Amino acid sequence: MSAAEGLEAYLDVEERESRKIRPDNLKRLLRLIFEHPLPLLTGLLLVLLGTAATLLEPRLFGHAIDEAIVPRRWDRLVELTSWFFVLITVRVLAVIGQGYLFEILGNRVTQRLRCELFSHLQRLPLAIYDRNPAGRLMTRVTNDIASLSEMFSAGFVSMVSNALMVLGILVWLLALDLRLGLIAGSVFPFMIAAGVYFSGRLRISYREARSKLSALNAFLAENLLGMKVVHLFNRTGVHLARFERLNRWYADAQIATVRVFALFQPTITVAAGIAMALVIWFGGVAVAEGTIRIGVLVAYFSYVLSLFQPVRELADKWNVFLSGMASAERIFSILDWPTELPAELPEAKPLRGLQGHIVFEDVWFAYEGERWVLRDFSLEIRPGMKVGVVGHTGAGKTTLISLLMRFYEPQKGRILLDGKDLREYDKRELRASIGIVQQDVFVFSGTWEDNITFWGKSPGLATGSGSPAGLGPALRRQSEREKRELQERGSNLSVGERQLLAFSRVLATRPAIWILDEATANMDSGTEKQLQGILDEAASGKSLIMIAHRLATVRRADLIVVLHKGVAIERGRHEELLRRDGLYARLYRYQAVSAERSEEAVPVT
Amino acid sequence: MSQSAASARRSGFLSAFLEDSSFLREYLWKYRKPVFWGMVSLIVVDILEVIPPILLKESIDAAIDNKPLRLLAYFALAYLGVALLQGVCRWGWRVFLIRASQEAGRDLRGRFAGHLFGLPASFFDKRPIGELMSLATSDVEAVRFMIGAGLLTLADALFYFITVPIAMFWLSPELTLLAFIPLPVIPWLVLRNQRAIHERFEKLQERFAAISAMTQEALGGIRVIKAFAKEDAQADRFRSLGEDAVRASLRLARVQTAFGPTLDFTMSLGMVFLLYVGGRALISEEAGTTAAVSLGTFVAFQRYIQKMVWPMAALGMALGAYQKSVTSSNRLKEVLARRTDVPEDENSEVPRLEAVASGWRTAGKVEFRDLSFRFPGSARDALSGITLTVEPGERVAFVGAVGAGKSALLSLLPRLYPVGRGMLLIDGVDVNRWPLEELRRQVGFVSQDVFLFSETVVENIAYGLHGWMEARGGTAPENSPVEEATQLACVHEDVIGFSGSYATRVGERGVNLSGGQKQRLTIARAIVKKPSILVLDDALSSVDVQTEERILRGLRSRPGRNTEIIAAHRISTIQDADRIVVLEDGRVRQVGTHQELLADQRGAYRKFHEEQRLKTELESYSELLDAAVERGGGA
Repeated sequence: MSAAEGLEAYLDVEERESRKIRPDNLKRLLRLIFEHPLPLLTGLLLVLLGTAATLLEPRLFGHAIDEAIVPRRWDRLVELTSWFFVLITVRVLAVIGQGYLFEILGNRVTQRLRCELFSHLQRLPLAIYDRNPAGRLMTRVTNDIASLSEMFSAGFVSMVSNALMVLGILVWLLALDLRLGLIAGSVFPFMIAAGVYFSGRLRISYREARSKLSALNAFLAENLLGMKVVHLFNRTGVHLARFERLNRWYADAQIATVRVFALFQPTITVAAGIAMALVIWFGGVAVAEGTIRIGVLVAYFSYVLSLFQPVRELADKWNVFLSGMASAERIFSILDWPTELPAELPEAKPLRGLQGHIVFEDVWFAYEGERWVLRDFSLEIRPGMKVGVVGHTGAGKTTLISLLMRFYEPQKGRILLDGKDLREYDKRELRASIGIVQQDVFVFSGTWEDNITFWGKSPGLATGSGSPAGLGPALRRQSEREKRELQERGSNLSVGERQLLAFSRVLATRPAIWILDEATANMDSGTEKQLQGILDEAASGKSLIMIAHRLATVRRADLIVVLHKGVAIERGRHEELLRRDGLYARLYRYQAVSAERSEEAVPVT
Repeated sequence: MSQSAASARRSGFLSAFLEDSSFLREYLWKYRKPVFWGMVSLIVVDILEVIPPILLKESIDAAIDNKPLRLLAYFALAYLGVALLQGVCRWGWRVFLIRASQEAGRDLRGRFAGHLFGLPASFFDKRPIGELMSLATSDVEAVRFMIGAGLLTLADALFYFITVPIAMFWLSPELTLLAFIPLPVIPWLVLRNQRAIHERFEKLQERFAAISAMTQEALGGIRVIKAFAKEDAQADRFRSLGEDAVRASLRLARVQTAFGPTLDFTMSLGMVFLLYVGGRALISEEAGTTAAVSLGTFVAFQRYIQKMVWPMAALGMALGAYQKSVTSSNRLKEVLARRTDVPEDENSEVPRLEAVASGWRTAGKVEFRDLSFRFPGSARDALSGITLTVEPGERVAFVGAVGAGKSALLSLLPRLYPVGRGMLLIDGVDVNRWPLEELRRQVGFVSQDVFLFSETVVENIAYGLHGWMEARGGTAPENSPVEEATQLACVHEDVIGFSGSYATRVGERGVNLSGGQKQRLTIARAIVKKPSILVLDDALSSVDVQTEERILRGLRSRPGRNTEIIAAHRISTIQDADRIVVLEDGRVRQVGTHQELLADQRGAYRKFHEEQRLKTELESYSELLDAAVERGGGA
């Protein structure tokens, strides 16, 4: 442990893989498996068939010796050889068939779980996303599903068929000759004990090595990230020495694993040797004395030798099975998290005939505990009204919108839409009725059109079919863009194009309520004017909430609300607020100068 | 002529092979001892492998022919003896060979990491960390695998080809030829299958990558998806991507599940031949004629044929592993061929590090002479025609918009990038001619992106004091340079407040610190080594104004203070500097003291100042409001 000194930080405390399999989880998994009875039952049947054929083969070989070769019967040899050929063909086909059928089964179950998990994640409330880093949820969908699928394709088939094989051989050995069977099988319990012992030891060693590897990787990744600092402080030598220590540590853990493995195989070799020696002596004597026939002895040799491979495989695959079960357990635990939406999701249609009359009534909200983000907030937005919300970062502007969209529920007070409490609406219909343009436009990789319809059915404005006339040249050029492939996170789009995309998304849904969340923050004035034109037409007569950092955006609003630490400290029209000479006026004056300066500044490359 | 062309091709092939296998040969030579003993063990195992079937043959023949029973006992004991010896040797080759491969892997990984640590900043600007990590992990592993398991499989297969056929031939030449009829198909099957499996596996990986990418996007864009209530469409799309993966997976399964059984079938065909032809030979064999084939031979052949499948398959696998290791070692070599760090002049005018006493310090004079600079790979000059002299003891501040060239200018001082056109002199010596280590000892550089290691506070601060931690044994840093530095950086009180005080773990894997705390810790880290030139690149941006003022005042009186070069966005940071330089578009626009620059009514600095004044006014008003909100709750 001394090698670890000072480097513990890089060691992850690995999620404990319990050796115990919880019966309810196993039951849950089995229920999923039984949903596909055809591949399951046919596969199991083929396993039985294959095992039977494998078991019969040495016996048939021995039989050929006893029935054809020793009595020198040519006709029997031809017959038995043909049977032998049939037998191996059946066996090979059965093995191929069972492998493929179980692959089908595994793939179906995995696909089912994968989709269920994905859809479940989509239906979780945003609060869960705030608490769980996306990376961790990601691991569930990719790594855990992968290890589950490995369990099906590698672990499951092999465990079933190897267990059957071991059982079959043991029974057959005893059936052929009870005495010789008992003698040959006497080694078997020791084999099982060795298998259990080594599979346990291996699991521990694997885990050790894995955690050391992740420490090594964490250290290296951190150093690559901070390489500049390492260089500036002339610390290369020290860091390399520490890397070398972790490196050695990991290699030693690997070597320890090799040591365990290196003992396992010879143990099996020796055990097989003992069994065979016993069979040679007792079997040979029995043949010489005429109590068993020579073919039986030959078959015995084959059986005893093929008894040990399955045991080794079982010990190996048991670990695959365990880690698959651990993954299943983690997946199930996510599937048990409560969602905000029902399991069946139809296409969400916007609410009909919505007026857009919004009332915030004494709303208090905190993301956690008593740290209020909104304090006793009230606001009435009459249909068709244009409202601006301004304030510093963290004043609660975006939270306001999140409450309106029902991403979160206020702790106190209520929000009314057209006189009805928000909670009475279907969440998705409500969200579909509110069009929101965000500052950070999230671009999915796909075409422009995909990004507007979200790969859904209703094309809407994206294909230009329902576009209101005279929306300006920006939209008309859009049809050319529709087929263009957008890269991940929109890296091949300009800032203006992204904003256009965000506007197009909302235009396609024809919402009753418009929300602009810092929507024009990074836009050049040309694009901004264009979009202003589009917006004026599309949102005319509709309620509009503009959240803005740049006050120029909200100057023309019917009402401006100034938020500070969740409190609406000022409200009124632009001129009124300037006259009050409060926060709004100061923000405005500062921005006037700073905007002038930044326009002179060199564009950042 | 054609002969020479052929030999050239051969030598080309040979040199390619030598180049491809250079890592393998190097490490096999380095670990030649364990590799040798591992190989010896392997050969013994393979030779012994021939014996058991012969023992079975002899036992059967003995049992039938009514030979003395004690023969059977001998055979049984011999069988056991062979098994024991094989067991020991099997243990031996694993322990020797695999261990050697783990050690070689460790060496290669260490060598690669060591090289990375020596590469200049410009290398890391362009290489994603993920890519370097995958080189250090999976590519090193591929080479290691070839050295261990790959070599082993290859050697094992080759020895089998020598030993087993000889034994078979010795027993019965006719049966050997017969049994070998289907065997040559196996390597062909293996290679063909591996290719098909590889191609289908890649396709499947692509499908999985698509699923991962979509999941990542869906999780990242969850707000958008929820806001537009498009969960259903996303789930449909995910389902269809999943179905693609299922199809690709089954396509792979079709070749993969068939592979083993096909090999098995081929081998079993040999058994059918054996049974039919060998059986006929046994039957037709008249008493007294040549007893070419005994029943025991027949059984021994059954075992031998089964043994031959593995080496045939192994040959294909070993070839695959070799190919993989070649691809990986070429990738590693590409990075290893990179030149480490910025070149420096051999006959430097500054005394070499070993020669100078640890207390030696520069005066701290910095001269820029018509200096222009562009970042490697960039098409645009970040700095052009900078000429400026900073006298020892002076504090010079640089201001300017984002992209004006402040960071570029400052990063040249510790030579994070080499100076190209023009000159940068420190104490009259070109920075390119300074020994890098010495230069970086003299220049304390605090970058705008804070980076702390996942270590304790004291370790992070004593970072630049080589050997200090070891000497102090990690004891409490009272009255030490560490505390002196934290006092100066105004972070001592914060540290004392952490649950573990100076032993608190920070960095990515440590406690959460505020941006200001991180910045102050990095300042402490830079000043603890008492650099004669201190460079702060926007390093106080998250520190509040009062604390900033205290830090800046303190720095004026720090021990061994010489020159300070500061870049900042805030007026408060720079107004007390001896001189202020306004940068615009990589050029010097204005130089002077705060008062002088303010006097220029139309100058850029004056506008900057006005903006800052309004900002300060806004901030103090906001603070007033904060208090009101906390008191009143409502409006």
